[in-house]
Amino acid sequence: MLNRLRSLLGVLTSRRDFEAGMSAELKFHIEQYAADLVRSGVSPVEARRRARMELGGLNSLKDECRKARGLTLLDDLGRDLRHAVRMLRKSPGFTAAALLTLGLCLGANLTIFAVIDSILLRPLPFPDAGRLVTIFNTYPKAGVDRDGSSIANYYERRGRIPAFSSLSMYRFETAIVGEQGSMIREPVVLVSPEFFTTLGRDPAMGRVFAESETAFDTDSVVILSDGFWRQNFHADPQVIGRRIRVSGSPFTVVGVLPPGFRFLSSEARLYFPYPSRLEDRSSLQRHSGGNVTQIIARLRPGVALAQAQSQIDAQNSALELQDPQAKMMADAGFRSIVTPLHADHVASIRPTLLLLQAGVLALLLIGAVNLVNLLLIRAAGRAKELAVRQALGASRRHVVCEALVETVLLTLGGGLLGLAAGAGGIRLLALLGGDRLPLGNYIAPDARLFAAALAASLMLGVLLAAPLAWFHLRPGLGNALQSESRTGTAGRAAQALRHGFIVAQIALAFVLLSGSALLGLSLQRAMSVSPGFEPNHVLTSQITLPGRSYPDTRTRLAFVEKLMSAFGGRPGIVSAGVVSNLPFSGHNGKSAATVKGYTRPPGESPRGHYSYSVGGDYFRAMGFSLIAGRFLGEEDSRRSPRVCVVDQDFARYYWPKGGVIGQQLFQGSQMGPGAEAFRVVGVVGSVKQAGLTDAAAQGAVYYPYSFQPATDMFVVLRSAAAPENLGRTLRSAVRQIDAELPVNDVRSMDARISDSLLVRRSPALLAGFFSVIALLLTAIGTYGVLSYAIAQRRREIGVRMALGARPEQIRRHFLTLALRLLAGGAVLGVLGAWFAGRAMRAFLFQVPAFSLAAVAAVTVVVSAVSLAACLLPAHRAARTSPMEAIADD
Amino acid sequence: MGKTAELLPGTLDMLILKAVSQQAHHGYGILLRIRQISGDALEIPQGSLYPALYRLEHQRLIAAEWGQSDNNRRAKYYTLTAAGRRRLREETEGWNRLASAMSAALNSTPGEA
Repeated sequence: MLNRLRSLLGVLTSRRDFEAGMSAELKFHIEQYAADLVRSGVSPVEARRRARMELGGLNSLKDECRKARGLTLLDDLGRDLRHAVRMLRKSPGFTAAALLTLGLCLGANLTIFAVIDSILLRPLPFPDAGRLVTIFNTYPKAGVDRDGSSIANYYERRGRIPAFSSLSMYRFETAIVGEQGSMIREPVVLVSPEFFTTLGRDPAMGRVFAESETAFDTDSVVILSDGFWRQNFHADPQVIGRRIRVSGSPFTVVGVLPPGFRFLSSEARLYFPYPSRLEDRSSLQRHSGGNVTQIIARLRPGVALAQAQSQIDAQNSALELQDPQAKMMADAGFRSIVTPLHADHVASIRPTLLLLQAGVLALLLIGAVNLVNLLLIRAAGRAKELAVRQALGASRRHVVCEALVETVLLTLGGGLLGLAAGAGGIRLLALLGGDRLPLGNYIAPDARLFAAALAASLMLGVLLAAPLAWFHLRPGLGNALQSESRTGTAGRAAQALRHGFIVAQIALAFVLLSGSALLGLSLQRAMSVSPGFEPNHVLTSQITLPGRSYPDTRTRLAFVEKLMSAFGGRPGIVSAGVVSNLPFSGHNGKSAATVKGYTRPPGESPRGHYSYSVGGDYFRAMGFSLIAGRFLGEEDSRRSPRVCVVDQDFARYYWPKGGVIGQQLFQGSQMGPGAEAFRVVGVVGSVKQAGLTDAAAQGAVYYPYSFQPATDMFVVLRSAAAPENLGRTLRSAVRQIDAELPVNDVRSMDARISDSLLVRRSPALLAGFFSVIALLLTAIGTYGVLSYAIAQRRREIGVRMALGARPEQIRRHFLTLALRLLAGGAVLGVLGAWFAGRAMRAFLFQVPAFSLAAVAAVTVVVSAVSLAACLLPAHRAARTSPMEAIADD
Repeated sequence: MGKTAELLPGTLDMLILKAVSQQAHHGYGILLRIRQISGDALEIPQGSLYPALYRLEHQRLIAAEWGQSDNNRRAKYYTLTAAGRRRLREETEGWNRLASAMSAALNSTPGEA
């Protein structure tokens, strides 16, 4: 088989040589034979004649030779191709409409496929990436679904879980890199020594980190990414041992990673050892993850995920025996979950992508149905021609081949357009925030997309050819010959098929439209949720104090106070504050708090709360509402009495009867022997922490900055005018206090909230866009089929009118047909919308899965559009002139 | 020309393979060669020779190469490939079995059985 294919290919590449060779060979034969005949006494002329005679007809002989080389099949294909091109060029309107439909539908599908391929399908860029897992702690009953892992977890587990060949931890961080004057803040990763081994990618140069380098106060070392090495060291092969400045201190380069190394979605170009003290590694810190430290591991070959899970569970239960917190953690539903790294990383976006893929598939289906209808109409116009050809001996195979060649040619052209549209769509998606998705940076048009386009086009071509072939090979086609009309009779079956397709199309568009209506409504509802503070006129920005220059509470507090006083006198600034974690900033960890005098009722789980440290006039800057008592002020960080503020959710949970002010609570889950309580001095309104659609009211506690002096902080400024104008003021104020401190992520609070809605807005926008196309296609399809029906029955209409039918009656006749199709489509559509709504319940926010309002609105829109598409042809039918119609044909 | 026998269907390929098994021949040469090795008993219809050659070449049982003929003309020469040699051997064995069985059957006398 392979041999024959190769021989065929060989001939194809030099078809001209083949023909010339064949002619030469036969000519040689004739001459040789003739010469032999002459030698035996025949006259030269007679010899040539006999030689030729014996060989037979030269043309048919050559044809047989070609067939022997398998060439005729290709010649047939070529002829069919030329025929198809001719037919398509003869009806440019149809061809353009078909190509446009295919291009749009395939383009939308290819765009979403490219996203799904890069995010969900393609394995992570590590050897045997399917064996990489992550392990995280969960305390579901305390409202903490995911708390990462702790440093203690790592030291307890590594080397002790036989299911893993390697286990390591990491933490995303930022660092200030560079010399004075050219410093930038870079995302970096802190990793344990075996991190690169776990991933299966060793440095291209140098070494990985040593165990000793994970202790505090050791030599400072760094591993560079290939990109950083090329850009900052000009790919110097002697880079090992050279130094870079990080946070003002020199770090020695010990390794360079291979090109293309990238950990998940991280942009990090620098990797540092994960430093920890002995007390961080102790079992007392086992549950202090805070979703900052993460553990990854590599499963040993042949070991199943379930085995790893049961080994982790077994170790957890063994460790709990000596853990004083065990009871409380068990009450919180504590477990450590082992889950595949890739799936876990993209879990948040997976349902959305699948939803969008379902949407574009529906769109493709609508487009395909449109095309089938258009093709069937066209085929009806050629029924007679085909009948004649079949009567003249065209084989059934040939008829099918011809249909196939034509549809595949169309879909291949559409596929090309679709690729172009898909490339554009991918760029458009980037604008909609596609590159901010997990693994979103990998999205790009590539060979796989090309292959997908080709496969989809071919498949679609075959699918489209099927009804066409059925139509051509119907047994009743012979009747077309007897029919006097040029176009043949409208087969009842063909008509029913066309109408069925219209109904399906309307139903699909209905479902698509109602789905996007639900998404749109959810977005609208989400947007109208109040965050609980006043986000307009608020500018925010992130600052990280380097631990080396700000080692303790005193230095950090001094920085905050200087910063606050710098803003104090500035015009345009109403109030200013700092906070350890801003709502909507994307990293809001929860921790425990212990309320004095509160005993957890049996069966009640301990709760995780949001915990913040605030400085300056944070509450006024953000526009919090004060419910009782007072806000925290600058002076609370300086005074020794420990005070705090709680939010309404917190107050309601612990002191439902009121009397909150003056109550006492402790940080953390324990009332340690030396712990000093914080006195509640105020209650503030609850705010949305992670996003506008937060469901759980977890409660929050705000401590003065000095009691939790985080190095990562957000600066919040309330301005009188547009907040964006304050960016320069903010930067210069920071520079005057510490010239080396970069100011990052300067954005208005409004922008942050708007960004937090991205996961709702972009799918809603895309779905809306797809729906509009679907509606348009449906309108075109309905219009086309109805116009055709009317054109076909022109004569009948003419006769009817000649017999006294009024134009209104004709119009009514066709409008009734349209209404029947519409009603069928709408009924199926409502059914589909019900299923779709249930399937997408996870995406809905304060909108029922089957929203009557949405269905009603969609019904109106779909009806209006499809009736409008019917009106024009119906109107034209009513204006038919009886004389002309009867005289036609 | 002596008495010629009708060519059995399917035997042309065998004869061609045999004809080129010792030495390369061009199409006309193959014709002559078959006539020669069959003792002038087999006559190939000239019209069916070339399609058969092209089919065998397509099946890679024979290979073709352009060369010089005895009278210094360009001619296409066919040789047997390894696959062709294998096929020839199989076909020959099969033919011999069939032929001896046929002749035994046809020459049997009523006494035997």
